[in-house]
Amino acid sequence: MAELDEKNNKLAIKLVYYGPALSGKTTNLMRLHDLLQPDLKGEIMTLETQNDRTLFFDLLPLGFRAPSGLLVKFKLFTVPGQVAHDGTRKAVLSRTDGVVFVADSQRTQGVNNAESFENLAANAARVGLDFDRLPLVVQFNKRDLRDVLSEEEIKTRWQDTKWPLYFSAAINGNGVNDTFQQLLIDVYKDMDRRYGLQSEHRLKQRDFVTSLMTGSVGSGRACR
Amino acid sequence: MSVIAKGNFDGDLRLHDLLTGSELSRLRSAIEVILGEGTRLTDEAGEVIFSIGTADADPGRRRVALRIELEPVGYIEANNSEERLHAAALLIEQILKSSARYHMASKLHLEAVHADYEKLQQKHEALRESEVRYKALAENLEERVKEQVKTIETAQRSLYQSEKMASVGQLAAGMAHEINNPIGFISSNLSTAQSYVEKLSTFNQHLCNSNDVSALRSAWSQSNLDDDLQDFPSLLQESLDGANRIARIIADLKVFSNVDGQEEELADINEIIRAMCNVSAGQVKQHAQVILELGDLLMTRCRAGHLSQVFLNLLLNAVEAMDVGPGEIRIQTSQDGDEITIRFADTGSGISEPELTRIFEPFFTTRDVGQGTGLGLTVSRDIIQAHDGRIEVSSQLGVGTTFTIHLPVRE
Repeated sequence: MAELDEKNNKLAIKLVYYGPALSGKTTNLMRLHDLLQPDLKGEIMTLETQNDRTLFFDLLPLGFRAPSGLLVKFKLFTVPGQVAHDGTRKAVLSRTDGVVFVADSQRTQGVNNAESFENLAANAARVGLDFDRLPLVVQFNKRDLRDVLSEEEIKTRWQDTKWPLYFSAAINGNGVNDTFQQLLIDVYKDMDRRYGLQSEHRLKQRDFVTSLMTGSVGSGRACR
Repeated sequence: MSVIAKGNFDGDLRLHDLLTGSELSRLRSAIEVILGEGTRLTDEAGEVIFSIGTADADPGRRRVALRIELEPVGYIEANNSEERLHAAALLIEQILKSSARYHMASKLHLEAVHADYEKLQQKHEALRESEVRYKALAENLEERVKEQVKTIETAQRSLYQSEKMASVGQLAAGMAHEINNPIGFISSNLSTAQSYVEKLSTFNQHLCNSNDVSALRSAWSQSNLDDDLQDFPSLLQESLDGANRIARIIADLKVFSNVDGQEEELADINEIIRAMCNVSAGQVKQHAQVILELGDLLMTRCRAGHLSQVFLNLLLNAVEAMDVGPGEIRIQTSQDGDEITIRFADTGSGISEPELTRIFEPFFTTRDVGQGTGLGLTVSRDIIQAHDGRIEVSSQLGVGTTFTIHLPVRE
C-alpha cells in the first residue's frame, strides 16, 4: 500500500508487472525506461539468472514533483514468472498499488496465462489485497509473433471481465506506454481518493500521467 | 557481510544500512588515497559517515550527491578536482548499488521465507486442530461403539427372551399332555364312582321300604354291588395318585418357571435338576434316556430359575445331538470341598473342533434358520459366570459331548 510520508513530503507508489514466465515483464520495464521522460528516473536494477530469467525482481524507480511540492515516487517491479518462485512472487506483490498482468499471446501459452492469472488472484488474497478493487490492466504481449491468438479471440474470452485489455509487442515498445498510462489512470483514482491528490496537492489526473510520460508537470501548470 | 536492515524489501534504502563494518573501512581507505585530506562522506541529512583529516567546513570544498534510485542517499565532499570527485562518487554509487541489490534480494528472500514459515505454521495449526477433532471423534467413536454394543446386547437378550418364551410354549404343550392324562382317568374314575353311588342309593331305597331279607339279598346280588365295592377303593386310590401327579407337575413347573426378577435363595441343585427333568420329560423321552447320578450336595445360594434354564438348555442340546437315534444323557453331580460339579454327558453326534471353539459365541448356531438363535449357550455361560462359576466343553465326533459346570458353594 502506498504510504504518504508527510515528514519528507513523499508519496511512494508500488506497481507490479505480473504474468507467466517469459511473457515479457522485464522487457516492458526496459522499454518504459527508454520511453518515459519523467523528472526523476533511476536505472533498472535487475537480479537475473544466467538465462535471462528474473530470479528475484527487476526494479525501475521513477518520480516527479507535484505542484504542492509532494514528491511522487514510483517503484515498478517485475515478479519472477517461474512457478517455483511463488514465495518470492508473493513477497513482491505485497503492498502493491497496481498490477499489469502481462500475458503471452501465443496459442500455446493459454494454460500458462490462466494459471498465472489464477495465481495472481490467489496471491493477492494471501497478501491481503482486495483483488476486486486492485487497479489492474491486462496486456496481451508478443503480438509481433506468428501463431498468436487473434485480438477478436482474446477480446471474446475476456469480454465478461472488467479489466482493461491492451495488446503489445514490448520488444518493439508497441503498446507498452498505453498499458502503463491506463494503469496510471486507475491508480490515480485510488490515490486521489485516499490522499486528496487533486484537492491537497493540486495534482490532476492528466498531470499525474503526463508527468511520468514526458516530465511535463510544468506545462500542466501552464495550461491552467 | 553487512547486517540486513529491518523493514520491507521495497522500502527506501539508507546509506547507513548499505555501508557497514569492513566494507566501510576499506572504502574509506580507498577514498583517502583518491581524494586525500578534507574528504567527508555524509548521509542524505548531512550526518557524517566518515571524514578524513581535518574536515571542518571549507568554503572551497566541492560536494556531489550519491544516488541509488532517485533521491540522494548521501553526499561526498572533498577539496579536490571536479573530475576526481565525480569519479569517486561514481565508484561509491556502484558499490552502493551492488550493496542495495544484495540488501533487497536478502530482505525479499527473508520475507518470502517468513511468509512460507507462517504458512507452514498455519498449516501446522490447522493440522493440529484437525488432529484434535479426529481425536475427539475417535473418543466419541469408542463411546458410540459401546452404545451400539449395548443396543445389540439388549437386542440379544430380548431375542433370547423370545426364544425362551417359544421353548416355554413347547414345554407348556408337553405339560398339557402330562396333566391331561391323569385328568382323563381321574374324571373317568369319578364318573364310575358316581354310578356306584347311584346304585348304592337305589339299594338304600329297597333297604328302607322292605323288611324281607331274602328280597333285599336278591336285589343286592342283582345290582352287582359286591364287585363295585371291591373296585371302589382302588378307583379312589388311582384318582388320588393322579391328583398327586398333577400336583407334582405343577410344583416342578413352579420351580422351573420362576426365572425373572427372583432373588437369590438357598437351593438344592439336585432338586433343580430333577424338576427340570420332570418338566422336560415329554420332550426328551422319545429321543434319549436320561440317567441321573446325583451325589450329595450342600445347599447353595443361587438363582434357581436361571440355573434351570441352563440345565434345560444343556439337556435340550443333548437331545438335539441324538440325530442318529436314541441315546443316553447322563447327568452327574458331585461336591468336592467348596465346589459343586455338574456334568451333562451325551452319546450324541459330537461337535467338530472348529465349531467347538465357537459354540459360546453369540448367534453361533449349526441349526437351520428358525430352529435356534444361537444364544442358548451364550446366555448359559453368562448365567454360570454370574454365579462365579465356569462352564467347559469337550467333545468327540461320533462319540458325544460333555459339558462340565463348576459352581462355588455359597451359603
